[in-house]
Amino acid sequence: MSLESPISRRDFLRNGALLSTAILAGSSGAIPWISGPRAAEAALMGIGQELRDVLNLETVNRILSEALTRGGDFADLFAEQRFRTSIVLDDGKIDSVTYGYPRGAGVRVFRRRQTGYAFSDEIAYSSLLDAARVASSIVQNQSPVRPLDVTPRRIQPPFTLAAPAPLMGEPMKFELLRRMDAAARSVDPRIVSVRIDYVDEVRDILIGTSDGSYVIDRQYLVSVVCVPTAAQGSERRSGFASLGGRVDQDYFPRRDPEGVAREAARQAITLLTAGPAPAGAMPVVIGPGWGGVLIHESFGHASEGDGISRGTSFLTGRVGTKVASPVLRVIDDATWPNGRGSYAVDDEGTPGQRTVLIDGGVLQSYLLDRQSAGLLSMRSTGNGRRMTYRQWPIPRMTNTYIDRGVTDPTALLTGITKGFYAAEMAGGSVDTTSGNFNFAVRLGYLIENGQITKPVRGAILIGNSLETMTRIEGIGNDLVVEQTRGTCGKDGQMVPVGVGQPTVRFSSITVGGTAI
Amino acid sequence: MAQQDSIQETLERVRTLAERSGAAEAETYFEFITLAEARVREREVELIQQSAISGLGLRILRDRKMGFLYTTDLRRTVVDELVLRTIALAGEATPRDENKLSDQVFPPQGNLEIYDDAVAAMRPEQLIALARSLEENALARDQKIQTTLDTRAGYAVGEVHFSNTFIPYQVFKSTSCWLTCTAVASDGNQKREGSYADRKRIFQDLNTPERIGRKAAERALVRLGAKPVPSTKAPVIFEAEAAGAFLGGLFGAFHGLNVLDQRSFLAGRLGQQIASPLVTIVDDGIQRRGLGSRPFDGEGSQTRRTVVVEGGKLAHFLHTVSTARRAGVQPTGNAVRGYDSLPSVGATNFYIDGGSSKPDSMIQDVTRGLYVTGTAGFGFDIAAGEYSQQVEGSWIEGGKLTRPVEGVTVAGKLGDMLLGIDAVGRDLEFRTTFSAPTIRFKELTIGGV
Repeated sequence: MSLESPISRRDFLRNGALLSTAILAGSSGAIPWISGPRAAEAALMGIGQELRDVLNLETVNRILSEALTRGGDFADLFAEQRFRTSIVLDDGKIDSVTYGYPRGAGVRVFRRRQTGYAFSDEIAYSSLLDAARVASSIVQNQSPVRPLDVTPRRIQPPFTLAAPAPLMGEPMKFELLRRMDAAARSVDPRIVSVRIDYVDEVRDILIGTSDGSYVIDRQYLVSVVCVPTAAQGSERRSGFASLGGRVDQDYFPRRDPEGVAREAARQAITLLTAGPAPAGAMPVVIGPGWGGVLIHESFGHASEGDGISRGTSFLTGRVGTKVASPVLRVIDDATWPNGRGSYAVDDEGTPGQRTVLIDGGVLQSYLLDRQSAGLLSMRSTGNGRRMTYRQWPIPRMTNTYIDRGVTDPTALLTGITKGFYAAEMAGGSVDTTSGNFNFAVRLGYLIENGQITKPVRGAILIGNSLETMTRIEGIGNDLVVEQTRGTCGKDGQMVPVGVGQPTVRFSSITVGGTAI
Repeated sequence: MAQQDSIQETLERVRTLAERSGAAEAETYFEFITLAEARVREREVELIQQSAISGLGLRILRDRKMGFLYTTDLRRTVVDELVLRTIALAGEATPRDENKLSDQVFPPQGNLEIYDDAVAAMRPEQLIALARSLEENALARDQKIQTTLDTRAGYAVGEVHFSNTFIPYQVFKSTSCWLTCTAVASDGNQKREGSYADRKRIFQDLNTPERIGRKAAERALVRLGAKPVPSTKAPVIFEAEAAGAFLGGLFGAFHGLNVLDQRSFLAGRLGQQIASPLVTIVDDGIQRRGLGSRPFDGEGSQTRRTVVVEGGKLAHFLHTVSTARRAGVQPTGNAVRGYDSLPSVGATNFYIDGGSSKPDSMIQDVTRGLYVTGTAGFGFDIAAGEYSQQVEGSWIEGGKLTRPVEGVTVAGKLGDMLLGIDAVGRDLEFRTTFSAPTIRFKELTIGGV
């Protein structure tokens, strides 16, 4: 289980995004558009329209009935289509532009711990009946179960977008990238290359469940990642910045993309002269925002219902017990405005919600999907997510953060004679059986006598969750929830997430530098 | 097998439409994969999955500008519209000299033995039996192994159909099968997991469930009671699997695009001694039965064996058609992709060649140091040439493994680390696409308590 900032985006989140009608203006009519059905545009006209055409209430009922002919606790049908646009700017040039149009549907049956899953790349009644038969084969020697007839459920979006960013015209997208590129290069002649990855998508989903739900939703997401590289002699350092989330078009001008690109370039320049990071256990202060990778890895994954219902997570059976410093409050919030991990409904049709995981250092809840909730005799917390229709849902985080504390962040440095300040983080990973976790720091600073002093290069930070979380000595009042980056991988499934925290101080964390 | 005639017809039609509609060059890449997997846990079948994946990728070049689309929806009206939109969109890209499709026609590499009828004929019931056996063997190893996580068996059968404006339609089939086991050991206080896995093209080559289950259990057991050690500088041995994972992280340094864009610490170092003379690194796209072997690469270039580092000297970087054009060299057949991604530089079968040392004697020669059996986290800064990772393993004292270690980091400058490799084991085996024998670094920084 791991979380990465999208630096290796090409490998991580498959490129692609959306066919917006605005491209017609952008391509200046150079291509004579064919007449006749324009499936892609048709799909954008009504949310889930194309999915609904095939998967109406009646066909969904029949498919779910087929899925439960051999019995089972639950069955669902999940159909999805995505329009993705991705643009890569490299070496000052628009390198490539990609449209992706993946669509398909899958049928799942589960009984207790057992899951059967099959999908089809074709959204057709007959192929989904076949999928239902294959999925049903997981259940042995049981009598048929009749699903409840599905009825449409109204969903309550946590926020609405008036003009979603993915619907910007392509010329606006190109312009955004070119401006960021120029801004990053203008910072210093030592910036030798800039790579910017733009990805957006519009995702329509349709979910039918054997307990009677029929849910349709559309989700918008955009991400821009800027990586300038600086060189001096044989030294090369990369900076990193990102923009995006589930945002409107006016987000970009408000967010000052050039400023963000310049900041990434300055990071690369700072790293050129940064010294080696220290090695060993020492007091560590982690900066706000993306530093929330720490809580995502150290506690978030361990609270997910699959490891809990199997009894393998170190948090199994710990609800109501003290697992961290009493100042710690941790929240997973699918309703965070514009968050990368936000949604109205999860991929099982359960509304997204705000779940307090830890309060006063005491574990309050797990993150559950339907299956793990059933096994634990609890209710789903709306955390059942899947990467695409080709995978079955599993319990996942949404936007996970350490809640705001009361301390002025600069006061958190007081009294540290020698320590490490983690300013810019990369990704991390965790083993939820042992609780051993790690996360990488891209840019750090030494803390000497209560002051932030010299910049130092990146290093991995490691710890054991339960030990590390009792070592929290103070939490700042400067909460930032990072909505622009974060792709979490688990069981081979990548999903967008948000993480966050205020500045947090630990009495001791092991820093994996080279200087002893 | 998918219906080959109709796939070929669809690809030809799409390519012709693109070429008639303004694309100077067009390339179609179609994948069809059937796969099945069974997972077993605590003697119960936890999951059965059976699926068929298919999708089309179309790359077009227009005035040296590139556009790409992919879709799983092959309805004619949809595909036709996507083709025209992609051509229009490509008009917005920047012309680049290196934007050129492969135009060299080779006979595909033959006799790779990457397809096995026995795998293609496998049934889900066999997978369940294999996974059950895997778990039984893990549980039988010791009383302390009371459960497993993620015990599975699976197989995939794939087809790739390719053509472009210059290279006529060609197709290849491949298979793979795998066994994976993660066992959980518990001593009352602590729980630790241990994993072992194997993946092969040919079913007969696959390690037995007995061996994999036992290995997974042993790896979990050895971790019980592990503790950090004090921070120090010392020799560090990476056991073969950990060395393979290290090599996987290092791959980006040989990636042609990273080199061209100054994002590799090895940029500009061709011909120089960048590693110890004991180190030879190979990318072998035509290795017999290799997991990364294929008759042609993702853009139709001939696959081949490339010695990347020979006796410590940096000999070659790895390239696609476009990175090779920018660098002024020949492509190395390293365009890796799926139908839903543009070709980019990737490894085929990438390995550190076996050396002459016995792994046991590599340990015996160390008076005080760390033996690493596992690594975790994102520890490579390829541009800067720096390394820092969470590791676990055993502490070496007086040439012997003394006690289990976790909660430590190892770190170093990659350039210094490669030059400081002072022993290479003779225990190279291929279970993933990144493989290495046991290797020993003369000195790394160990971060602990």
